[in-house]
Amino acid sequence: MEMFRFVLGSAFLLIGMVVFAIEVFGIFRLNCALNRLHSAALGDTLGISSCMIGLMIMEGFTFTTLKMALVILFFWMASPVSSHLLANLEITTYADLDSKATTYEDISLLEDEMKQNGAKREN
Amino acid sequence: MSRRKTDEEYRQTGAFRFFRWLSGSKDAYIDTVEMKPQTEAVETKEEEERREAEHKHAVEKAYDSNNRAIIVFNKIYRLVAAIFTVFLLVSLIYAVSYLPKIGDADNATSNEVARRYIENGVQETGAVNIVSGMILTYRAFDTFGETNVLFIATCCVMLMLMLDEKILEKMDGRDDRRFEPKSDPILKTMASFLCPVIFIFAIYILFNGHLSPGGGFSGGAVLGAGMIIYVNAFGFKNTQRFFNETIYKIAKISALCMYGLIGSYFYITGANHIANHIPLGKVGELISGGIILPINIVVGIEVACTMYAFYALFRRGGL
Amino acid sequence: MLVQESLTLVETCKLYTFIGVLIFLAIILFACLIRAIMGPRVADRVIAVNMMGTVVMVMISILALLLKEGYLMDICLIYACISFLAVVVITKVYLGVFAERMIEEEEKHGDV
Repeated sequence: MEMFRFVLGSAFLLIGMVVFAIEVFGIFRLNCALNRLHSAALGDTLGISSCMIGLMIMEGFTFTTLKMALVILFFWMASPVSSHLLANLEITTYADLDSKATTYEDISLLEDEMKQNGAKREN
Repeated sequence: MSRRKTDEEYRQTGAFRFFRWLSGSKDAYIDTVEMKPQTEAVETKEEEERREAEHKHAVEKAYDSNNRAIIVFNKIYRLVAAIFTVFLLVSLIYAVSYLPKIGDADNATSNEVARRYIENGVQETGAVNIVSGMILTYRAFDTFGETNVLFIATCCVMLMLMLDEKILEKMDGRDDRRFEPKSDPILKTMASFLCPVIFIFAIYILFNGHLSPGGGFSGGAVLGAGMIIYVNAFGFKNTQRFFNETIYKIAKISALCMYGLIGSYFYITGANHIANHIPLGKVGELISGGIILPINIVVGIEVACTMYAFYALFRRGGL
Repeated sequence: MLVQESLTLVETCKLYTFIGVLIFLAIILFACLIRAIMGPRVADRVIAVNMMGTVVMVMISILALLLKEGYLMDICLIYACISFLAVVVITKVYLGVFAERMIEEEEKHGDV
């Protein structure tokens, strides 16, 4: 029983480690700060929740594991706000954004273009 | 025999790069660091004249040759400063020469006090966390001094940075915060969820000062951090509905006075060998440890007010 | 963990797993630090520091289980609060400074 809990918990922990490795790889290879934000957010949500769930399974039901659940809850609420603020900062202060990414003035323009692409592929 | 390389092939080898780096013939910053185009600094005639006029005005005011007091002060200032420095140096070195050597066996620090704290700490103070028990019962006077230092620090910062509320209201459109983004709906929504969580967590740390690491100082710091998040999300005007200068003054002064009263009660009863009737309670429960819980609450309020006051004074110039 | 008593099979496995994971996370922490030094823009550096905070949070949780001290999870929560607070304040102040600089430059170029 203990062994089964340990194996399941360490499986989750290893998934978390793989996610962190992918995150670090992404932070070095992607070329724009907005793209790096994607990989950072990946680690912030999936990585930490997998690690914490693995640790919770390994330990059992104690006060410490309740606090780990609270950490996951707090972080899932606070991390998207950080990403939003950082993306806001990057877009407002980077004059040269068009060289690294295509920007649209309004989201309806992007939807029109996607519809046209879909129609072209059908034809 | 090997063939000599042509110039272009040689330029691509590692040996060429190494010797170029060794000799320093290529600038290390070109092509590797993003540089903005440099423009020359040009000063118009108006700016130059204005600068000279200001300098002249300031010099006249400082070296006013009609003011007798300034002339006398300039003459004796340097002499008195030199004498005072020498006196301070001599007295400090004299005091230091009386200290014992480091690591001596019969130093004042290696006595039986430390062993007594560790062995009898839990049953005499009633606190599981020996450090909290020590700084709030055995050495409560030291902690009172530290709380005083926090109070004096905010008083000094207020002296230097605080402006009158009327001036601030006139200036609120023209200070250096006018270009910041005013309100962000995502941040506002999230702050209304997260700030209560942070406040409750801070109160949890405060109340568990005698059971697990925490206590007044760390709990107060987290409480201050929660207030700073609230101010950043909602603005100073909304925060002044429940935390303005009056409440700040009441909280800080009453917290420090409470600590002083508690300390003096223990002084009087302890010096006259009267029993202080504060029950110690059962070790490990929440309401235990005698007077540690009230002192933790008092110190927490003090530290939270300090942190928020520093932030508000530096950002806006007023609470 | 530091007492030399005979451990069961599960406990030795746990010990070595935790130590391996801690070493791996230390390498990731160092890599994030390199990105914080290298990144040409302000947002890169703030992202890297935020990531370092997340990795440290996982390390503290593992230590809380390894040393069997339950109160280390409080420190974990405080880390989350503080890193969130840091991002909020830095973005707000930097946007203000940037806007002020842009308006000054516009005025200068407008005059000249």
